[in-house]
Amino acid sequence: MNTISIDFQPFVDWDNSPFILFSQRGKILYLNNSAEILFGYVSKKELYDLALAYAPQNFGYKTTTLTLNYDAFNFYAITVGYENEEQLSIRLYNAPRIKAATSLERDKLATTDINLLLEANIALFKTKNSNNLQLLTDPDLPTLKIDQNRFSKLLRKILESYRASDSIRITLKLLVGEHIIIEAKKVPIAQLSVEANGRYIDTDEEIRALSKQCHITAALSEHTIKLDIPLMQ
Amino acid sequence: MESFYTQSEQVQHIIKGLNLTKTLFVSSIIIGEPHTGKKSLVRYLFPDTPVVSGENQEAVEQLLQESDELIITDFEKLRNQESLNMDNKRVIATANYVANQHTIDSLFAFIYHLPSLKERPDDVTFLTEKFIRQAQKDLMLEDTDISTHDIPLNLTHNSRTLKRSVYHYLMNRSMGKKEIQKAVYHYIYENLEGNNGYKEHLDLYEVPLIEAGLAKYRSQLKLSQILGINRNTLRKKIHEHHID
Repeated sequence: MNTISIDFQPFVDWDNSPFILFSQRGKILYLNNSAEILFGYVSKKELYDLALAYAPQNFGYKTTTLTLNYDAFNFYAITVGYENEEQLSIRLYNAPRIKAATSLERDKLATTDINLLLEANIALFKTKNSNNLQLLTDPDLPTLKIDQNRFSKLLRKILESYRASDSIRITLKLLVGEHIIIEAKKVPIAQLSVEANGRYIDTDEEIRALSKQCHITAALSEHTIKLDIPLMQ
Repeated sequence: MESFYTQSEQVQHIIKGLNLTKTLFVSSIIIGEPHTGKKSLVRYLFPDTPVVSGENQEAVEQLLQESDELIITDFEKLRNQESLNMDNKRVIATANYVANQHTIDSLFAFIYHLPSLKERPDDVTFLTEKFIRQAQKDLMLEDTDISTHDIPLNLTHNSRTLKRSVYHYLMNRSMGKKEIQKAVYHYIYENLEGNNGYKEHLDLYEVPLIEAGLAKYRSQLKLSQILGINRNTLRKKIHEHHID
């Protein structure tokens, strides 16, 4: 079989793992669709520096296993390689996502105004803390069906992790155009983001567990917690 | 109908939180020292919700099955807290203390801490005025002019001891010679024994005499003249009764 006649570019284009080709000065010569999305969360320089740091000493390819997290993106390895002095490629391997095994307990879900729960949790937070808190929310967010008690616990844990932070910014908005498939139905997503100059990480495991039980995707980083909340009806 | 008054910002946040979740199926608990107003607050916000005490385990379990919303008072007295199923219920609990932090944390979405009266000076002033009006009515002392600042307030058991301080003060202020003698009579009748009774109970008379005298005249010399006793005798008695 003569492989030279095959155009491999579409396969790379549509690969779910990001692939980027840099020039020797760090200019992007090519990137696939997945890398394009990744650049919404990480800078060009950071990935170029990463490629340089893990590049093989001679021409060729080197794969290194490492854990990389950029917002909701998790990678378990990278391959860096070059065949000439002009081009340097990096491919990041998506870590497998463990599919939530928790089934939907519909009878526990109640129609909820998410803003109401959020405000109640802020009131609770304010009984113990006097930190400066900014809330930016969309009052027109549709109601959603959720386990109110569990979701409240999750919100409490998240806010508590900011107990010693000053100027906490909370944003709640609809992620326009993004959906999640739950039980074969397309469900719109609202994103709650809490950000401050730092936070405690002692309850991160609980936050992850509670999020999972609520079918919420949680991304936890040093300063920020982001929840992608499905607006189930 | 129950009323609840507060100036405390912290308590106002608790009220706000509870009001916001009034229509939701979430479980909340208010933790605070005894007599800080937890039950009054809950009854004020949820006047129609059935109330059950944590002392009665069966009643709590039964009501949890029958009703969508309930108030559990004295939650710390409830045994087998872990086995309660609060899913899809509106549960509001009150507790004097937390026996097991982990259980409370996993059962309740909203955990409020009601500050004690010592931390709510404005509320103390309001409650004192309220108790004065109540005491004046109860003791039929409507004409007595009282200032809240004159009353030595005891807040060790929050509103309970505060109320007692007010009633004691008003009772003491309203007593005439006859009533004081009657009070001393009862005290002595209860406590008189041994072989040195005269001396042992002399402080009933001497301590208030010297304390009030010193407060009024602010000079031992002047007081000794008023009392018609020697200055040294007065000094000796002050020392004996540890008045200084």
